[in-house]
Amino acid sequence: MAEIKKNEEQPKIGVFVCHCGTNIAGSVNIQDVMEYAKTLPNVVVSDEYQYMCSTPGQGKIADAIKEHNLTGIVVAACSPRLHEPTFRNATKAGGLNPFRFEMANIREQNSWVHMHQPEEATEKAKDAVRIAVAKASKLEDLFPKSVPVEKTAMVVGGGVGGMQAALDLADAGIKTYLVEKTPTIGGRMSQLDKTFPTLDCSQCILTPKMVDVFRNENIELLTYTEVEEVQGYIGNFDVTLRKKARGVITPAEAEAKGIVGGGCTGCGDCVAVCPVIKPNDFELGMAPRKAIYVYHPQVVPLIYTVDFDSCVKCGLCVEACGTKKAIDLEMEDELITVKVGTVVLALGYEIFPIEKKFEWGYKNFDNVITSLEFERLICASGPTGGKLIRPSDGEKPKKIAFVLCAGSRDNTGVGKPYCSRFCCMYSLKHAHQIIEKMPGAIPYIFYMDIRSFGKMYEEFYYRIQDEGAKFIRGRVANITEDPESKNLYVHAEDTLLGRPVDLEVDMVVLAAAIQPTAETEKTRRLFGVSCSQDGWLLEAHPKLNPCGTTTAGVYLAGACQGPKDIPDTVAQAEGAASAASIPIHKGEVELEPYFAQCIEDKCAGCGLCVPQCPYSALALVEKDGRTVMQVTEAKCKGCGTCGGFCPGGAIWMQHFATPQIVAQIDAFLLGGEQ
Amino acid sequence: MARAKNYLDQKLAEKLRDRKYYTTDSNPEFLKEVEKIGQTPAHMCYQCGTCTGSCPSAPRSSYRIRLFMRKAVLGLEEEALTDPDLWLCTTCYSCTDRCPRDIAPTDVIMAMRNLAFRKDIVPRNFLQTVQLIYKSGHGVPNNDVNRAARVKLGLEAEPETTHKYPEYIPGIQKILDHYKLKDEADRILAKGE
Repeated sequence: MAEIKKNEEQPKIGVFVCHCGTNIAGSVNIQDVMEYAKTLPNVVVSDEYQYMCSTPGQGKIADAIKEHNLTGIVVAACSPRLHEPTFRNATKAGGLNPFRFEMANIREQNSWVHMHQPEEATEKAKDAVRIAVAKASKLEDLFPKSVPVEKTAMVVGGGVGGMQAALDLADAGIKTYLVEKTPTIGGRMSQLDKTFPTLDCSQCILTPKMVDVFRNENIELLTYTEVEEVQGYIGNFDVTLRKKARGVITPAEAEAKGIVGGGCTGCGDCVAVCPVIKPNDFELGMAPRKAIYVYHPQVVPLIYTVDFDSCVKCGLCVEACGTKKAIDLEMEDELITVKVGTVVLALGYEIFPIEKKFEWGYKNFDNVITSLEFERLICASGPTGGKLIRPSDGEKPKKIAFVLCAGSRDNTGVGKPYCSRFCCMYSLKHAHQIIEKMPGAIPYIFYMDIRSFGKMYEEFYYRIQDEGAKFIRGRVANITEDPESKNLYVHAEDTLLGRPVDLEVDMVVLAAAIQPTAETEKTRRLFGVSCSQDGWLLEAHPKLNPCGTTTAGVYLAGACQGPKDIPDTVAQAEGAASAASIPIHKGEVELEPYFAQCIEDKCAGCGLCVPQCPYSALALVEKDGRTVMQVTEAKCKGCGTCGGFCPGGAIWMQHFATPQIVAQIDAFLLGGEQ
Repeated sequence: MARAKNYLDQKLAEKLRDRKYYTTDSNPEFLKEVEKIGQTPAHMCYQCGTCTGSCPSAPRSSYRIRLFMRKAVLGLEEEALTDPDLWLCTTCYSCTDRCPRDIAPTDVIMAMRNLAFRKDIVPRNFLQTVQLIYKSGHGVPNNDVNRAARVKLGLEAEPETTHKYPEYIPGIQKILDHYKLKDEADRILAKGE
């Protein structure tokens, strides 16, 4: 147990009030707050500065510590999320323990929200300073603990983001587990035909990357595998994985079993004999597959998978496989546990169920399809060999309407309030593909705004406009169908003309909103990562830490953090891989010392706290003939659940100790009187 | 021979009138009042046109609900309240059902009609409807053709309304009297004659 030090000396506090330009000084009277601070107990110096976070501002703190022999520092400025580390360093530079620092947030929690009430804001700032001084008077020296970091990483999700992160980590010399829930890596990008704005064939640029992942000796590829349980903390995650029963073994697994020349080679002999036919998810149900299947010819790893939900176990495939003995219809799920230092989550996205916006008739009218279905229909390796046809009669469409913001930018509660970011661009690409492949066919793009914000994106918009796509500025109100011809009538207003439009088309493509995948919620809970209101995973700071999360050692890549196109996904994946490799290369991480401490003299060993801890950080141990509680400090997150619960007051929450909090409450309610 | 240009021509002068939007034309209180009466955040409109696209009146008239939303946001009180299109809305609420911003454009129109009424700007037929309701309890009272059609369809000649129960008409009149609607209608109609 770490030694608990008590403050014996008389506290000497320095208070520094930040203007933050006009962010704070615009509504809070800085001079007034500074003068008030001088009247508070234990305050020996009070100062102000334009920008406390600047070098001269930080210098003031360090100088004051030396000059006045201070024991505690209070900075009244912005959020600790932003600048606590900055001022900790300044405190340390002045020769004081960095945990002798306390922050009063008079920007986010005061000047910004009370912009038009200068007098009240100034009074509130005084309260905040008084409270902070009360706590600073009772602060103690704390010492961060270092823990070693396992030299392995895990990437969850094998789409283009996950693959990039895994490749980068592997190339940095780190053994990386790449976990993917489906039987192949590649993700959404492998379902796309071409990519904007370069019009590269998606598979052509993706397949080499998939093969790289497969061949990289630092990557252990775990497809058809899901995360089951997560234990531990940064540097030492114990992740239990469920390898779902695939029914097929790889050549390597066959060799391990002593089957010479065995294992699945991807020959496909089994498929020919399988009697069960199911829709192929990869083709969005527009093509059939057997109960033993691969999604498409370029899958990695190229081995077959048995869909045990539909397999009738007739055994024909086992016979067809013959001496390779690759198929095992009695295979069961297998649980494996791996230890990793850091984790990158790249969980991806899925299409919003756009049939919920029933006014557009998806799943009701045959010729209304989603953009992802369009991708498969226009793709040469898709179910129609790249021929775009109307689902109702197989005819070539002549007029195709594209409905943008289908369910995006929608506050009704049925759709999604955010912009899905890439629909404008892929719809432009779709328009191009129609003009290119089907002479005479006209694409009509119903748009509210064209958001072509990326590099060479606006130029792409220009190109498609020049090629002859028709743009109509107006959101589609509803779509009706002619039951005879199955043609569709698109109703909207051409808002630039100020006239209603009633356009007869052969086919409608809905650029549906996107949402986090169904598994995202479960997986993020396993790793303790927060999410925003929309279910997208929450980054630690939107600008200053976009790849990190509030859970140390867990990083984000790609669309699971919010809608993103391929370049942004890959860029963030490289960022996440870099961030995830830092603790591994350092070899150890410092944990913030906000963990619980057991005051053994007071502990009755009742054990009531043990089941309260959400992080399993507490245990009862025998010590000097008594039973006392012990904290595994690296597991403790400092949440205080145990401290609040302990009937004997035997738990000391470092940096949030009872006397410190009581002092804060007294300072607020009694104005500092005890 | 081409007609000589004549800048004293009234029609041409009207056509060449300055039609720019000036901020001095706008009354910021107008939006506040519209939102207060309509109970809907009209200022959140992003002009997507779903309202006009959904409108059954728009394809057959010059009524453009989106433009009224814009005029509300810009505070163009005079222009909105004197526009006869204000009275072309059937209040079917299709625009409100589909608005992606969850605004009720119909209620914006209703609020504007309220404000127009305060300035005595109401089409005569609306006021005559008020008088008819006061008299019969119906905006469109039953007539002999309709009665015959009802009987032919096996219905009673008079529907289950004040037509069948004229004793309820005083109740309706009491409500209209409370809001002085009939008096106002009479007053405005008399003024126009």
